Amino acid sequence: MAAHIARRCYLLCRSAGVNLVPQQVKLRNVLIRDINNTTQLSVGYGSRGTDTTQDTQVHIPVDRLTVSYSRSSGPGGQHVNKVSTKAEVRFHVQTADWLPEDVRQNIFEKNKNRINKAGELLVTSELSRSQQRNLSDCIQKISAIIAEASEKPHEPTAEDVALRAARLEKGNKERLKQKKIHSATKKSRRVDFD
Amino acid sequence: MSFPKKPGGKALDVLQNLPRITLANLRPEPGARKTLHKQHGGNRSGRGHKGERQRGNRPRLGFEGGQTPFYLAIPKYGYNEGHSRRPQYQPLSLKRLQYLIDLGRVDPTQPIDLTQLVNARGVTIQPLKRDYGVQLVDEGADIFASKINIEVQRASEGAVAAIERNGGVITTGFYDPISLGILIKPVPFFLRGQPIPKRMLPGEDMVPYYTDAENRGYLADPEKIQQARLALAKKYGYILPDISKDELYHMLAMRKDVRQIFFGLAPGWVVSMPEKKILKTTDEKLLKYYSS
Repeated sequence: MAAHIARRCYLLCRSAGVNLVPQQVKLRNVLIRDINNTTQLSVGYGSRGTDTTQDTQVHIPVDRLTVSYSRSSGPGGQHVNKVSTKAEVRFHVQTADWLPEDVRQNIFEKNKNRINKAGELLVTSELSRSQQRNLSDCIQKISAIIAEASEKPHEPTAEDVALRAARLEKGNKERLKQKKIHSATKKSRRVDFD
Repeated sequence: MSFPKKPGGKALDVLQNLPRITLANLRPEPGARKTLHKQHGGNRSGRGHKGERQRGNRPRLGFEGGQTPFYLAIPKYGYNEGHSRRPQYQPLSLKRLQYLIDLGRVDPTQPIDLTQLVNARGVTIQPLKRDYGVQLVDEGADIFASKINIEVQRASEGAVAAIERNGGVITTGFYDPISLGILIKPVPFFLRGQPIPKRMLPGEDMVPYYTDAENRGYLADPEKIQQARLALAKKYGYILPDISKDELYHMLAMRKDVRQIFFGLAPGWVVSMPEKKILKTTDEKLLKYYSS
């Protein structure tokens, strides 16, 4: 099975225009084609937790964010005293044109606690001992905030509306039927003198 | 006019002109250390007085006089099963790697291999103790700042991110124990006069690891690796540098073939150290075998 995979890789590399003859020592230039693609200066939408169908991917451009590092709090001896591991990310909400207008408004309304007087959204993380991990955590938090802000109220489809109407109809009919039965019972107990 | 005496005197001159003091240059003054000699003579030949000690009848190692010994009192459990047969990977932190590069023990302008690391005495690998290579650990990811092309056997995600953030290339490759023994000690192998064997492919349980682009496996799809590079850059919040524009791109793109152990040498060749020659076979069957 492993040999099949090796062969597949050989074929892939052949199709990529590189001849892989192990006898002659050829360098595997497999990265040529790939690196020529443009590198995106953006962060992907955090679709980890939300599995709802959200096709609009909001990319968080890292160069539009202001990142600063400072010393973390808590126990840790010399390491926590000396090393700046707390990551703080901030960006001005109103001028963030990489976000849609309504999402910006929503963020502003929902996260009043995280927004300072200058209008910047501030996210910090001192989750781990590493700057990079804390930065990654900050980005995840920002993605979560954006996801929460771009939630659209669920509109019922035509099927849902029809189903609801049918159910109401059925319920009403059932109620009337029960009422008629009850009425019949009561009538049967009545004594009529004619 | 009396010239003031220079403090330190001639000893200071000597010290300034001699090479740097290292552990290799130091030696105690003869007669300062007294060697401890072996036992010689004695009424009871150094065995003590009567009993099992003198009579050479002491019980086995681990015996505690009848009390249930430690190694039997502790219960067995499933999570320890086969612990001595599990593959082990010697950790190499990014901090140590940066230290080696800074001291010039490892050359960042050439692809970094396990051979290079062992030559630089950066790690010690014992293939006979179920070591399957070296793993890259992300301790020191914050201070790592070198652009390198490195090949290890395992790597954590943070380590991969740190290396790619600095514009480097990382690959994970598998070496079976025989190939590993040859890789870490190439010269004794060449002196044996055997042809370089072809590197075996990983076993069933390791194939998923090495075919995964997330781990930068050497069997993974190159396009998927590029996608994984971008995804990791997005996750960790850095801009992925474009390697193809780099001047060292040729070096960074160097990767070993699946069956190759050494850069520049193919399986089937015999390296003759005394004659300083490489012998290549011309037999058809052998050529077919070594190129499969």
